Amino acid sequence: MIKVNGRDFPWEEGLTVTKLLEKKNYTFPSIVIKINDKTISEDQWEIMAIEDGDDVKAIHLITGG
Amino acid sequence: MKKLIKNEELCTACGTCEQVCSETYFKEENREKASLRVEKEVDVVKLTTCSQCGECIELCPVEALYKDKNGVVRINKQECVGCFSCVGFCPEGAMFYHVEHIEPLKCIACGMCVKECPEGALSIEK
Amino acid sequence: MNYNLKENHKLLTEFQYQPSKADKGYTNKSLYVNLSDNKIKEKEVTEMIKEKFIGGRGFGLWYLWNAVTPNTKWNDPENEIIISPGPVAGITQYPGSGKSLVVTLSPNTGTVVDSNVGGYFGPLLKFSGFDALEVQGKAENDVVVFIDGNKGIVTIEEAPEEAVDSHILAEQLTEIYSESEEDKKNISVVSAGTAAEHTTFGMLNFSFYDVRRKAVRLKQAGRGGIGTVLRDKKIKAVVVRFKGVKGDSNNPADFEKIAKTGVKLHKEICRLDDSQNRMRHNGTTFLAGIMNDYNLLPTENFRFGSHPDGKLLTAKEWIKYFDYNGKADGCWYGCTLGCAKVVCDFELTSGPYQGQKVVVDGPEYETIAAVGSNLGIFDKEYILEVNFYCDTYGIDTISFGTTTAFLMECYQNGIINKETTGGLELTFGNKEVALKLLHQMAKGEGFGKIAGLGIRKQKELFVKEYAADAEFLNDIGMECKGLEYAEYVSKESLVQQGGFGLANKGPQHDEAWLIFMDQVNNQLPTFEDKAEALHYFPMFRTWLGLVGMCKLVWNDIVPESNKDNEEPAKITEHVQNYVDLYNAVTGNNIDINGMLDQSEGVYQFQRVFNLRMGYGTREYDQVPYRSMGPVTLAEYQSLQEQYDAQLKELLGVEPEGKSSEEKMKLLRQYREGQYHKITDAVYERRGWTRNGIPTLETLKKFGMDFPELVEQVEKHQ
Repeated sequence: MIKVNGRDFPWEEGLTVTKLLEKKNYTFPSIVIKINDKTISEDQWEIMAIEDGDDVKAIHLITGG
Repeated sequence: MKKLIKNEELCTACGTCEQVCSETYFKEENREKASLRVEKEVDVVKLTTCSQCGECIELCPVEALYKDKNGVVRINKQECVGCFSCVGFCPEGAMFYHVEHIEPLKCIACGMCVKECPEGALSIEK
Repeated sequence: MNYNLKENHKLLTEFQYQPSKADKGYTNKSLYVNLSDNKIKEKEVTEMIKEKFIGGRGFGLWYLWNAVTPNTKWNDPENEIIISPGPVAGITQYPGSGKSLVVTLSPNTGTVVDSNVGGYFGPLLKFSGFDALEVQGKAENDVVVFIDGNKGIVTIEEAPEEAVDSHILAEQLTEIYSESEEDKKNISVVSAGTAAEHTTFGMLNFSFYDVRRKAVRLKQAGRGGIGTVLRDKKIKAVVVRFKGVKGDSNNPADFEKIAKTGVKLHKEICRLDDSQNRMRHNGTTFLAGIMNDYNLLPTENFRFGSHPDGKLLTAKEWIKYFDYNGKADGCWYGCTLGCAKVVCDFELTSGPYQGQKVVVDGPEYETIAAVGSNLGIFDKEYILEVNFYCDTYGIDTISFGTTTAFLMECYQNGIINKETTGGLELTFGNKEVALKLLHQMAKGEGFGKIAGLGIRKQKELFVKEYAADAEFLNDIGMECKGLEYAEYVSKESLVQQGGFGLANKGPQHDEAWLIFMDQVNNQLPTFEDKAEALHYFPMFRTWLGLVGMCKLVWNDIVPESNKDNEEPAKITEHVQNYVDLYNAVTGNNIDINGMLDQSEGVYQFQRVFNLRMGYGTREYDQVPYRSMGPVTLAEYQSLQEQYDAQLKELLGVEPEGKSSEEKMKLLRQYREGQYHKITDAVYERRGWTRNGIPTLETLKKFGMDFPELVEQVEKHQ
């Protein structure tokens, strides 16, 4: 189990940032990703592995309609 | 199409072109009022000049930008509302502004700087 | 032909004035026009008004307060329409700087409403010498009010021959009052349309002339029925002409700061828009796809948040229709974010203009959701057609959509039927019928008359006439304070429920849009956090409407620096830009806190204004349950896993073995309780009593302790 934005989310072997975003259907173009408080730049998303127990933040930079 | 051609390899960044330009149009030597820029960082010289590409023309909300019969992009100052959209969107960074003027400044390929450049780094293509 | 139109004008009065030049963003004059006795005068804008009300919405509220009494109804002659651009409006260097704010007593809500709009009218009004225009009274016959800011003449003219529908009228008047083709861009027309006369949710079109496409374009002050008020006053249009806009027409205190800030943003948009929201290409249509992906796109009267056909309404589908290719698309000079997209040569398939090829402004996200997905319709050309007709008929696409969605759900539940609708089969997805209804509204015929009443009055009517279940109607009728909801599903975001319900004018998202911060990012875990967000964002957003600036430029482009900001949702760099611009125009010296204080004064004033009109207490901040949670079994079942998990986690209730009805009831009790808690927390943060009334201390704190305000709040303490 990992945390995504403070809420539980199932972990699986081989989970990367890109895969997580796909699973959550997070399609918004401006998202800041932090794993255990460390910002992960977008060019790392494909390869950056998420470990079991990680605290992931996917902060959408959208504040309005 | 008439335009200013730069050769950065020949340029020594002496700044004569900027002075000539501002002197010609504003009667003062003030590089901030020139319609081209020369910068030197360590040994690399960068000349910023208008390529007369015309990308700015469609951006202008009042159609104050147009190409004249020689293919030179010109500003109709009468119509210009001073929004500086063209300054922000110029692919060359060659549309300038100065706070004493409410319209932008741009190169019209007059060739005054070409005559004075001691290194022959500037020329006019016709 | 147009020459004849002008010949048939009958001059009722002419007023000559010496146009005041703007000085640091203000002309220090307002224009007052009374249509009952054809009196026109100039008024001083005092230092007190500028200090406390700033401009824009603030000016509108102040003038309206002084014009009406607690008993004034929207259709009484003393009601006013006030248009004010704000001190920063009219600068050309910073994108999004041409907004007008319009204020009136609303036929939807019965109390004060404000609506913001682009187009050239506000800046041209200011450069014609006026910080605000107040129109009071009622004309006998249809009139045009014309302000010539170059000649210094204001006229009231009877205008019998012109069309009422905006796409024709705005073109006719642009033609009549311009001196040449080149002069057309110096004209802006404010008008409504035929449906504004027969509905409660008429809106105002503000025009600008698009020199490149040689077309009159229309931007809308949509919310609150202001177009209905315009037509009730027998105003066909208000027209301004001013030639000579320059980059320093506001005579700002610090032009250099404005130029630098403007160029910085132009460069930022040039660099980043293509990889962010692509506003220059899409306008706001990109939101449709995003909302569908995050289950937030209102579908079938807000029952659901997405639909498989939602993919037909994404931005890439819309750009095929837009005439763009890098052309300027700003609704005021210098807006390089350029969200005002346009469809040219669109052939209409229905209604009085069937077969004609027209220019359609938009659609914007709200329209796509309101008249499309929320009615279960995913047909782009239908949406374009409704968009066009709502605009030219002068009605708000949001209220039209949300109301029609409600009627469709009523129809599907047998509350209304083919007999009561005069043969209209108002089922979800029925686009032909939605269009028919719209055309009926324009003619004031058939069921269109009922549809035009808006949801609040329909609920009363259906209970009275058709013995409908009032509780059910209150649950599914998406209105609050009489205003129809804007197009976001707020069920899973308590903060957004508050954002809608606790907004001064009714459920419009321009005060607070916090769904992602709350629901997706989970950045507001405590009630304190939630209340703070429901304080900061409404205050900040209100401020944009005081100075005359656009909200989209704040957050539809985001600077690189923002990702490292501790509070990325605030986009602090852009907030600072606004502060810098305000200071640079006015010569004042405020910081971000000063900005919020300015807003808060006006915000408290508006809350007391509601109170004065007989509203503005806690009971009017209650929201329909559809905005909070699943009303029907189908809604519960569509997200059963999620709701069951919430029962377990949040209520400690084991969902297994319970019927859906039991579970829905438990969830409802919980969510209604949460809404009361957020209400309490926000009231406290805003300095209000538990009944939602600003305390005396609050009024004093923000310099709003005018005797007549104190009197209002004391009555309720």
